[in-house]
Amino acid sequence: MSFLRLAARSVARPQVASAPRVVLPRAAAALPQSRGRVLQYAAYSAAAGLSKSDITARVLDVLKGFEKVDPSKLTETSRFSEDLGLDSLDAVEVVMAVEEEFAIEIPDEEADEIKTVQQAIEYIAKTPEAH
Amino acid sequence: MNTIPARLARAAQISASPEQARQRVFQLYRDWYRAAPEIISLYALPVSVPFFRHAIRRKFEENRYVTDQRVIDVLLLKGRQEYQETMNQWKMYDHVMGILLESRKGRPRSFLEKFYEGRDEDAVLPAATGV
Repeated sequence: MSFLRLAARSVARPQVASAPRVVLPRAAAALPQSRGRVLQYAAYSAAAGLSKSDITARVLDVLKGFEKVDPSKLTETSRFSEDLGLDSLDAVEVVMAVEEEFAIEIPDEEADEIKTVQQAIEYIAKTPEAH
Repeated sequence: MNTIPARLARAAQISASPEQARQRVFQLYRDWYRAAPEIISLYALPVSVPFFRHAIRRKFEENRYVTDQRVIDVLLLKGRQEYQETMNQWKMYDHVMGILLESRKGRPRSFLEKFYEGRDEDAVLPAATGV
């Protein structure tokens, strides 16, 4: 028993001794610095938003998640009903899935207008709240 | 939690054109689709969000080939009522699990099965194609 305790101590001690030395100073030094940096960068990059290629990739990913969509037919220019063979309720679902992906809510009238992948991408591009 | 009972109430409406009826169906579908996570947490349902949406989709598909505009208006009204009742938690767990998420048409019953049940008639379906 006492032998085990001894063994445990001999293992534990170096860790206890070394851990604060390494972790504490780093945490103390790094935190205020990184916070300041993040704030600064956020202010400068606020207007940039999402890049077009980023939006395109994510919208296409959303569409690939649909069982009915044939990935080989899927391009930026494909139309939901004619090219991808989706019916009207599927099209509604696609638009809702895009909404969820970008954490926005598209009003009904504008959601009805979105009938192609391109239109969806454009709508996201001109929506500042999308992220 | 505070419930405002009239929040989701909609007056019965006569669609001006088939196109408008279509739009209203999409609106209703969108509302259900958006509400799925909320309903699941509200009733603590043991189903996933995609399953809930699939069940709702099945309800809509049951009436896919309804062409009579008056019938569509009635179905829309009923759908709205159902939505209001569900969202305001006027239903109980079993109403949601056993009725809302259950498909209406089971397999065809044999003569004896109908006899044992004491019911010859299947559930009355709304007139699908009129005029």
